[in-house]
Amino acid sequence: MKLRAEHNAEPVIPTASMADIAFLLIVFFMVTFTSEVDRTQVTLPNTGLRYEIPAQSAYISVTEAGLIRVSNGEEMSVSVPGVEDVLSFAAQVVATDPSRDFVIKADTNVPYRTVDKVIDALKQARVKNIFLLSRAKTVDGAGG
Amino acid sequence: MKIERRRVPDEIPTASMADIAFLLIVYFMVTSTFAATRGLDFAFPPEDDSKSDLIEPEDAVLIEIQSSGDLLVDQKPMKATEIVEYLRPKLVNNPKKPVIIKPDPASPYGYMLEVLDELRQGDEKLGLKINISLPTQREIELFWY
Repeated sequence: MKLRAEHNAEPVIPTASMADIAFLLIVFFMVTFTSEVDRTQVTLPNTGLRYEIPAQSAYISVTEAGLIRVSNGEEMSVSVPGVEDVLSFAAQVVATDPSRDFVIKADTNVPYRTVDKVIDALKQARVKNIFLLSRAKTVDGAGG
Repeated sequence: MKIERRRVPDEIPTASMADIAFLLIVYFMVTSTFAATRGLDFAFPPEDDSKSDLIEPEDAVLIEIQSSGDLLVDQKPMKATEIVEYLRPKLVNNPKKPVIIKPDPASPYGYMLEVLDELRQGDEKLGLKINISLPTQREIELFWY
């Protein structure tokens, strides 16, 4: 006797929940999204201690080649011709907000003399507190 | 004659919703970066703190960072991890003893931060706040004797 299949099931991939998953991912990205004022690519040094940097801190980034970019914490960073310009920039920021923290985002391999001049400019501009941006030191001593 | 009514299925078309959602995901993935928002803090001494200019060299601990990364603590070669133990007896007697970090201008910046990190971690190990001083080259030329 020949048996006939009763149902001819259509091959369907259920995609009803795909949009739900996608929107969950979107919500994650929207919640974690922060607008960065400085996107200079540097290799940060590693430290064991790291403290959260206050929002709207002013940024000074120094690349390995010695290029310097500055941001007052509200606008995107701009390039400055030399270390000498950091003093006038910092003085301007401090005149607007004397308690503004400054972040030094310097490459781990940049010669210290460049960072020294930046620190000196910040001291002369009467900046009170600085943060030296770093990556977390892992057990083997490398960054994480 | 009976007219047959066409039945329109009552459903919201959601086929393109996933496409739109994935387009938004791609946008966020492309534009997002992992921002580093942590670091070591360092407070500059107040401008009117005239005492900072009056430190006698023999009253302080001097950490020299050479261009090779080698450390000299009070002229003695030392590893960064050994500094805190070296400081312990000195700071027990005088907790306010300044610890001066003097990096070679040609040394990579990362070495200075490594030493600063060790000293800041030493606060907890020694149970006191180490008085760290980081004079700039200009200050060294002006005040060092």
